[in-house]
Amino acid sequence: MNLFSSLGLAAPELFTITTMALMMAGTFAGLLAGAIPGFTIAMAVVLVLPFTFAMSPVQGLATMIAVYVGGLSGGLMSGILTGIPGTPSSVATTFDGYPLAKSGKPGLALGIGVWSSFFGGVIASVVLMLVAPQLAMIGLEFQPVDFFALVIFALTVTASLAGDQMLKGLIGALFGLLIATVGSDVVFGLPRFTFGVESASKGFAFLPVLVGLFAFSRLLGDVRDPENAVKRLGGDEAHAVHIDYVLSAKMVISRWVNVVRSSLLGVFIGVLPAAGSTISNILAYDQAKKASKEPETFGKGAIDGIIAPESANNATAGGALIVMMALGLPGDIMTAIMLGALLVHDVIPSPSFISDEPKIAYSIFLAFFVANFMMLFLQSITLRGFVLITKVKMYMLTAVILFYCALGIFALNNIAYDMWTLFVFGVLGFVMRALGFPVVPIVLGVVLGNIAEVRLSQVFARGDGLEAFLTRPWALFFLLLSVFSILFPFYQKHLGKPGWTTYFVPMLLIVMAGPVFMMPGVIRPVIAGLMLAAGIVQLITRLRNGQSGPEKI
Amino acid sequence: MRLNRDTIIAIVLLFLSGALFVSTYQLPAAMFGQLPSSLWPRIILIPLAILAFILLIQAQRTTADPSATSMGLRQWLQYYRNPIVVFFLFFLFLVTMPVLGMLIGGVLYVFVTLNVLGGWGRKQLLQHGLISAVFVIGMWTVFTQLLGVFLPEGILLRVY
Repeated sequence: MNLFSSLGLAAPELFTITTMALMMAGTFAGLLAGAIPGFTIAMAVVLVLPFTFAMSPVQGLATMIAVYVGGLSGGLMSGILTGIPGTPSSVATTFDGYPLAKSGKPGLALGIGVWSSFFGGVIASVVLMLVAPQLAMIGLEFQPVDFFALVIFALTVTASLAGDQMLKGLIGALFGLLIATVGSDVVFGLPRFTFGVESASKGFAFLPVLVGLFAFSRLLGDVRDPENAVKRLGGDEAHAVHIDYVLSAKMVISRWVNVVRSSLLGVFIGVLPAAGSTISNILAYDQAKKASKEPETFGKGAIDGIIAPESANNATAGGALIVMMALGLPGDIMTAIMLGALLVHDVIPSPSFISDEPKIAYSIFLAFFVANFMMLFLQSITLRGFVLITKVKMYMLTAVILFYCALGIFALNNIAYDMWTLFVFGVLGFVMRALGFPVVPIVLGVVLGNIAEVRLSQVFARGDGLEAFLTRPWALFFLLLSVFSILFPFYQKHLGKPGWTTYFVPMLLIVMAGPVFMMPGVIRPVIAGLMLAAGIVQLITRLRNGQSGPEKI
Repeated sequence: MRLNRDTIIAIVLLFLSGALFVSTYQLPAAMFGQLPSSLWPRIILIPLAILAFILLIQAQRTTADPSATSMGLRQWLQYYRNPIVVFFLFFLFLVTMPVLGMLIGGVLYVFVTLNVLGGWGRKQLLQHGLISAVFVIGMWTVFTQLLGVFLPEGILLRVY
C-alpha cells in the first residue's frame, strides 16, 4: 500500500468534528501545561490518558499527540518570557529567547519561537511519512554501548556550551550524574549514598530537581537586587509589546538552512530510543552556534539560537513516534504513555505495525501534522495573553511562580518529599549559580545519569568489553564527537590565529569518516569516503597555505 | 596557598569526591556479568576529583583582581537579603504544610513574599492580597476541582 492510499484510508477516520474538537482542546491543554513551569507535558499527557479509554484508538492517540505538540510549543512561552523552561525540551530556548525578550523584544522572540516550532513539526511530519521505515532501521542498530556513548556526547556538548566556564560546566555535568546515583542502584535495587535517610532511597525525581535548579536560581537571581525586583519583566517598554507574525515568519524562513538542519537533527535524535527532545534542543543549539557566522551573539539574544532548539524539539516528537510505532520502544516519557494507550486498545506496536495497521499508523502521522497547524492557530490567539506576563513586576512573578512550582511538583507524585527536593535543589542551584557554575550541565547530568547507568549495566550483562566502544561504529562516532566537542570552545577562542585551529575542521572530517565508514550499507561508507576526501583536500590546502581560512563546521 | 572562592570550591569537591569514593567500598559486590553498584559512582568520582584538582591549580594561578572587594558577613547578608528571605519563607511554607495545607499556606506564602519583596504600603497590601487570593485559590481550584488532584488540606481545613 503506497503513501497516498494509506493517507486516504486514515483521513476519514481522523477528520471528524469530534476528533478535531478533541485535538483542539488537547493542543490548548498542552500549551497551558507547557507554559506553566513545573506543570510538565508528561503530567498533562498522563492526566489526559484516562479520558482516552472511552475513545477510539485514533481519537485517543490524536488527542494525546495534540497535548504533546501543544506542550512542546507551550514550553517556549515560559522559557522566553521568564527564563524558566516549562519543560526540559525548552532548556536551550532560554539561552537566547530570554535575553531577546529582556532586551525589549519579547514579541519578536515569541513569534520566532512559534514559527520555528511550527516548521520543525511540519518538516518532521513530512519526514515521518516519507522515510519512517528507513529511520526506524537506524534506531534498530543502536546497542547499549552506543546509547552510553550518546549520553557522554550529550553531556560534553552541554558542558562545552558553557564556553569559558567549560571546566565548571564539566564539573557541573559530573555533579549532576552524581546526584542521579543517590537512591537505589539499577542492578541490585539497594540503597546507595542515602546515609540512612529512608526517603532518599527512592532517589530524586528529576522534575523537582530540574524545576528547583532552574526556577529558584533564575527567579531569585532576578529579584536579588531590590531595585530590579520591582521592575517589570519586560522593562519599561513592556506595554509596547507587539507580535509581528509576518516579520518573525520572514526571519525564520530566511534562516531556512538552520530550520531544516535543526528539524532533521530533531527527527534523528527522536528516532533514538531514550534520547528525546531533552537532548535534541541542546544539540541543535550547539550545531546552530557552530554553523553561525556570528557565534559570539549566541547567549545574547541570537535569532538562530531560538530557531534551532524550537525546530528540533517539535521535530523530535516526530522521530519518537516512528520508534514507538515501528519498534514498540518509547523515545521519551510521552511516547511511553502513548504506548500504554495503544496497548489499552489492544494495538500492539511491532516492526510490521505500519504495514499491518495503516489506518492507525497514518492517522497518527496525520494527527501529528494537523496538531502543528492547531498549535500555530492557538498560539496566535493565546500568545497576546501570555505576553501580558511581561507587564508584571518581577517580584510578583517570582512569588506566584514559586508557589505554582511547588503545586505542580506535588501533584506529580502526590508526595511532600518532592517539594522538599524542589527546595533543596533550589538552594543548591542558587548557590552554584552564584559560584559561577552553569546550571544546565547539572540538570542534564541528573536527567541522563540514570539512563547512562542502565545502559552501562546492559553492556555488562551482554558481556561487551571496553573494546566495544572502539569497534561499534555508533559508539566510536559519539565518543570521537565528544572529544571534538570539548575542543570546540578552544577552537572558537583561537579561530583566525595561526596554529592548531587551522587543522581542526579537516581533522574532524578525517577522524569522523572512520566510524561512518564502519557503518553497514552502502550510502554511509560512501558519505565517509566523501568526508575523508574533503578532509584530505582541506588539510593539504591549509598545509600549503600555512594559515587558517574563514572556516566553519 | 591563595584562599579564593574557586580554591574553596575545589577543596570541598575534593573532600566530597574522596569521602564518597571511600563509601563506595561499603556497597555490595557484583555477581558474574553484573554491573557492580560501586562502579558507576567511581566512574563519576574519579574525573570529578581530577577536574576539581585542575580547578584548584587554575584558582592558584589566577591573579587576584585588585578592584574586587571582599564582603563582610553583614554586607553579604544585605547583598543576598531577598533570596535568603524567599528561601526562608518557602521553608516555612513547607514546614507548616501539614497544619495550614496547600491552600491557606499558599495564600500566606505568596502574600508575605510579595510584601517582603515589593513593600508594605496600604495600596500594595491590597494589591498583594488580591494577587495571592486570585492566583493561589484559582490554581488550587483547577487542580482539585477540575483535575481531581488531591492536595494537602492541612489540619485547619480537614473536615473528616
